[in-house]
Amino acid sequence: MNDITTLMSHDHRSCDESFARAETAISRGKWDEGTAELEKFIAELETHFTAEESILFPRFESVTGMTEGPTKVMRGEHADMREAVERMRDAVSRRDKDDYAGEAETLLILMQQHNMKEENVLYPMCDAQLAGENLPPTLAKQLGREQAA
Amino acid sequence: MTTTADLSLSYEAAPTFSTPLRFFLTAPLFGALAGVVLLFVPDLLGSRWTPGALALTHLIAVGFMLNIMFGALFQILPVVAGAAIPNARIVAGIVHVGLATGVASLTWGLGAGSPPFLNAAVVLLGITFGVFLVAAGYGLRRTPIAQATPRDLRFALLGFGIAATLGMALAMILSGGLSLPLATVVKLHVGWAWLGGSGLLLAATSWVVVPMFQITPNYPARLTRYWALLTCAALVAWSAAVLAGFSLLEFILAIALAALSGAFAITTLRLQTRSRRSVPDNTTRAFQLAMSCMIAGLLCIVAAHRFDHDVWPVLAGILILHGGFVTAIVGMLYKIVPFLAWLHLSQAGMKAPNMKKLQPDGPIRKHLIAHAVALAVLLIAALSGSTLVVRTAGVLVMLEFGLLFANLMRVLGAYRIARSA
Ligand SMILES: [Fe+2]
Repeated sequence: MNDITTLMSHDHRSCDESFARAETAISRGKWDEGTAELEKFIAELETHFTAEESILFPRFESVTGMTEGPTKVMRGEHADMREAVERMRDAVSRRDKDDYAGEAETLLILMQQHNMKEENVLYPMCDAQLAGENLPPTLAKQLGREQAA
Repeated sequence: MTTTADLSLSYEAAPTFSTPLRFFLTAPLFGALAGVVLLFVPDLLGSRWTPGALALTHLIAVGFMLNIMFGALFQILPVVAGAAIPNARIVAGIVHVGLATGVASLTWGLGAGSPPFLNAAVVLLGITFGVFLVAAGYGLRRTPIAQATPRDLRFALLGFGIAATLGMALAMILSGGLSLPLATVVKLHVGWAWLGGSGLLLAATSWVVVPMFQITPNYPARLTRYWALLTCAALVAWSAAVLAGFSLLEFILAIALAALSGAFAITTLRLQTRSRRSVPDNTTRAFQLAMSCMIAGLLCIVAAHRFDHDVWPVLAGILILHGGFVTAIVGMLYKIVPFLAWLHLSQAGMKAPNMKKLQPDGPIRKHLIAHAVALAVLLIAALSGSTLVVRTAGVLVMLEFGLLFANLMRVLGAYRIARSA
């Protein structure tokens, strides 16, 4: 299956794994490796946000005419997560393990409840509304994924 | 195009902090009350049929578990299923008061064998479940999404509805208002409350929560797609066998249900060993304990079928309720409550302390240890039958729920400090 829900949910899982790699390194006090892993995670997350904000959401908004609806809520949550990520960066730069653990936990739950809303509600709506648009290949290209048909 | 999803995803559609919190803070008080009962009526663990054991079971199952499930459902239905409960605040108020008074009266009715209290419980809990199921069903009705979790949530609500109806019938049988074969209705009530309601709800939550928060691979698609369907089908067939009195078929279907529950617990444990998070957090540990207790409890149920001794059902009850459901619920509560505090603070434009400042790891660990010790002593109490050990278990149960309450209040305290800062 190459629908939007499958593709984007898969990318969420991939971001999760990068998150865990950074968390593992930092919890073991490997600051250099941890900083590098954190930056990789942030880049991946940002790529995902961009795919949504510049491709998926605008198509959804123009097809449904809903600009004040779910996409607005999701954009707002992206902004919250960008702030949370900055606080993680800050904790790493101060080499503060406990603070990082707390900020990372906060981001994780923020990110997961956001993903739940997208995977259970918004993406299925996109699949239903944008069925004729063949968006998955375009999205996959932006995400740097190969499997698009 | 208008759907409710466009509204329900936003923060504005989420209930106020007090909506789920009132349930979360009441639940530990009923848990502590279970400890008080153990302390003062220490002979109740002799069999699952003693009035004290019935009262105790419902203090935990309805007073603790259902309280938290209700609170959590008010919060997560809009998020996971896009289903907003209409007038959530008013509905929550009715459900909260109805449940608290209903459980109190049910417990007294069962423990003291008092028909007026049982009748009052039927009315109070009947109104409570009715109001909740109608409101939740109304919210879910408007979500056309065919994903596994919302579908299984619907099944779970249906299961709770059946269990509650059977429970009310039982209360009326006991109070002399209805004449039906007691043993049959009890069996069905336990089956539906345990698997049809609580089991399905735990599974539906786990499909989402375990992979997302413990960063594990997803549950196998075949499991998430068919588990709830198979479990419901087996429950219906089992109920038919119970009603028809086909005892061999009933036994085979009970084994099938135990196998399905075991498959869920074992899959969860195996997924957790593949977590990408290097440090298992408190919630992960709670889930590990919960799933292990579920498996042990299932083995006790099988043993109860083979060996006719009163201790097996009691052990199964302790392992599944206290060791399984209570532990898993507590593990999730420690994620939900600090996050809600954080969310409400940051949405109000205030600087929110991070999750671990709102809910530090140390006190959680202390509570989980107290919980595990209480569980072990409860099991020893059931095996030994010693009054002293039962009383000790009672004190430990009071202590563990007291710690849970204190930990939740700590989050509320940190929330209030941050708000006024
Ligand atoms: Fe997103």
